Amino acid sequence: MERMLRLFAWGASVLVPAVLLTLLAFLLWRGVPGWSLALFFGDTPPLDAVLRGAPVFDGLWPACLGTVALVLLATAIAVPLGIASGVYQAEFASPRQRAALSFCVDLLAGIPSILMGLFGFALILLLRKTVAPAANTGLLLSAGCLALLVLPYLISTTRLALESVPHELRLAGACLGLSHGQVVGRILLPAALHGIFGGVILAVGRAAEDTAVILLTGVVANAGAPSSLFGKYEALPFHIYYLAAEYQTPAQLAQAFAAALVLLCITGGLFAVARLLRAHLETRWKTGRSQ
Amino acid sequence: MTPAGGAVPTRDGALPRSLLFAAAAVSALAVVAVFAFLLWFSLPVFRGDALASLLSWRWQPLRGQFGILPMLLGSFCLASSALLLAFPLALGVCCFAHGAGPVRAARPLLAAVRFMTSVPTVVYGLVSVFLLVPLIRDAFYGSGFSWLAAALTLSVLVLPTIVLLVDAQFRQVQAEIGPSAAALGFSPVQQLLRLTLPLSRRGLAAALALGFGRAVGDTLIPLMLAGNAARVPHSLLDPLRTLTSHIALVVATDSQDLAYASLFASGLILFVVTAFVHLLLRRWRGQAA
Amino acid sequence: MIMRNSVMSRCLTLVLSAGLYAFSPLAGAADLASFAGQNGKIDIAGGTAHIPVMNAAAKRIMQSNPSIRITVAAGGSGVGVQKVGEGLVDIGNTGRALTDAEVAKYGLKSFAFAIDGVAAVVNPKNPVAGLTAVQVQEIFAGKITNWKAVGGRDAAIHVFTRDEASGTREVFWEKLLKKGVIADSANVVASNGAMKSALAGDADAIGYVSIGHIDDTLKAPALDGVLPTQDNARSGTYPVVRKLYMNTKGEPQGLTAAFINYILGDEGKRMTAAAGYLPL
Repeated sequence: MERMLRLFAWGASVLVPAVLLTLLAFLLWRGVPGWSLALFFGDTPPLDAVLRGAPVFDGLWPACLGTVALVLLATAIAVPLGIASGVYQAEFASPRQRAALSFCVDLLAGIPSILMGLFGFALILLLRKTVAPAANTGLLLSAGCLALLVLPYLISTTRLALESVPHELRLAGACLGLSHGQVVGRILLPAALHGIFGGVILAVGRAAEDTAVILLTGVVANAGAPSSLFGKYEALPFHIYYLAAEYQTPAQLAQAFAAALVLLCITGGLFAVARLLRAHLETRWKTGRSQ
Repeated sequence: MTPAGGAVPTRDGALPRSLLFAAAAVSALAVVAVFAFLLWFSLPVFRGDALASLLSWRWQPLRGQFGILPMLLGSFCLASSALLLAFPLALGVCCFAHGAGPVRAARPLLAAVRFMTSVPTVVYGLVSVFLLVPLIRDAFYGSGFSWLAAALTLSVLVLPTIVLLVDAQFRQVQAEIGPSAAALGFSPVQQLLRLTLPLSRRGLAAALALGFGRAVGDTLIPLMLAGNAARVPHSLLDPLRTLTSHIALVVATDSQDLAYASLFASGLILFVVTAFVHLLLRRWRGQAA
Repeated sequence: MIMRNSVMSRCLTLVLSAGLYAFSPLAGAADLASFAGQNGKIDIAGGTAHIPVMNAAAKRIMQSNPSIRITVAAGGSGVGVQKVGEGLVDIGNTGRALTDAEVAKYGLKSFAFAIDGVAAVVNPKNPVAGLTAVQVQEIFAGKITNWKAVGGRDAAIHVFTRDEASGTREVFWEKLLKKGVIADSANVVASNGAMKSALAGDADAIGYVSIGHIDDTLKAPALDGVLPTQDNARSGTYPVVRKLYMNTKGEPQGLTAAFINYILGDEGKRMTAAAGYLPL
């Protein structure tokens, strides 16, 4: 029995990293050889595209821009909302409110992303039938739905970060004669900022990689760089999905793998930053060092 | 000192409570809105013969048959088979990290698993389309786009979620019993087998439920890999269609007919299933606390 | 290096197109000139057979006038009808004629721009050189399940079909399968492009695509002895033929009208032909 457990644990622990390594090796093997500026800019001169916004065809550049725009917008919506909700839940809510809020946040966290997309799609249908006949799927709608998707992360990390601030700080604030609101705004929030920031970064990564939401809310295969809040746009994850099914030439396939590498670097990089922040946070309170 | 995010402190540094409350209310209402929309748009389903038509086993829109039961079963089959694979593996990894393997290997192993959470779903899908699907096609029969391909990939996707939960649970249990168990002369493996595992039962169940929620809710893996044939699969090598990929495939058809209603009905079922999973988790957490 | 290359290729394009204009003094210049000074956007969705033509035209127009934005989305003919009907896009493409119900419900106007055939296709490695219509019907119905039964090697047939929104599927089902059954065990893919890449990677697969999409990654076996080529489609010897349409809600206006005229014009015709279709 013990031998079996040991054997099985070893097996699983060799297999899982092996799968991960295979995945990475395969991506590098297929993605790197085709790597070139043309992959990103097609036949448009790169400097023209970057500096003067010349339209790019057959390249990844518009999809990169689209993803950046989408993530920035979604973050701009979700971060203030999420942090404020988290602060309210941790510091101001009555026990009943807190229970209701945490119930809703739990439910929200469980909603599959395709349902967020379906919600956005239904919202547009309703708007068109009622107040805004010209409403259409597009960048802003996708960003809004993505914001809902990452909102629970933000709320719960904010709450946890506030709760993990040492109690002494709270007492110190009260001793100085600050009101509860002042303690939260001037002492607790700044102290919890690192933790909250880690949550924000994870939320950014999640918004950058999600495909199901944007699939239903306005992403298209060919749109050029995003130009308006209500227009259709391109995005990296959708581009990968689209090319995986539709590639017509080896060059397009190479583009799919390159896009996958770019996206993985983005999400992996964000993830690394979030981990570093967290490690920093832990040592900070353990050593009592403050900035 | 800089104020955080959008909650702008007033001049004396206090946060405007009403603004915070408004934000919290909006967040709470979001979930209500999603549910209300799904319900409202699937209302036509509950009228008369539409329901009977949807709750049947054939999806052939050209012949006026709109049954979504194959997709419901597809979702269930795919999610459970992926868990069947991922859960034991995750357990193995956690046992390795908590005594069954060398202490020094635990940290890098868990770091690798954590890194896996940051790999985009669509990247798993892409690699499987060009690596796993041809392998399955050559090794067995069929086109390779199958239940098996989707289940294998999906298990890789949900594995980190389960590992991280189980790991947290093991940590907690071992912090409580570790010293006394060691004092009683339990070897690390004995401790795992006789104490940690049995004592973690509830945490394991929670990890299983959460894993199921994630697996049922994923769209891209089945859409890219499962072949999407709308019928009940007879073997692991058959294609299948899940509720999520059904939504993605049908979302743009004619807005008047039953295909459209089936879309929102699928959405509603998904919502109810995932909500149930999370309510269950809440309950367990509440009892544990 | 790359920059120099692309500058060079740009010059080359200029020289070439100047040459073209020299031979057809009216055509190209007048076509693109209708977009000069305009700005705005055109959203296009629907039929996936149309996409190569739409993309080529979009690229040409946007390069000559960067203040025009043209977005092209897939989805299939059903999507094209619904989206243009609901006013979600400006042009909805279909690979089939609109039904009377669709025209009446949304007030749509159709512009046919190309003739195209739909052909059953297999992987180039497949030795089968010809099939009868009945054999194709039985393969798709799931009655014939092994390539041996139709003169191929001993291997199970992998049937691929399209989703419900597909016009290609509708034409194939109506004109070749004679509205017969398509086995529900068939794999479903969402576009002509996806069908092509699925079949190109699977030696035992059969599916169907627009003839314009056939290249050396696919093989189209003769149907009842007739090779599915655009020439045979035009002459009527190959029976599974349809037109490709652009549809608008009501009379097209402004940019949308200019775009449709461009596709119907000489330059559009060249692009249509280059994509493997017969311009009308």
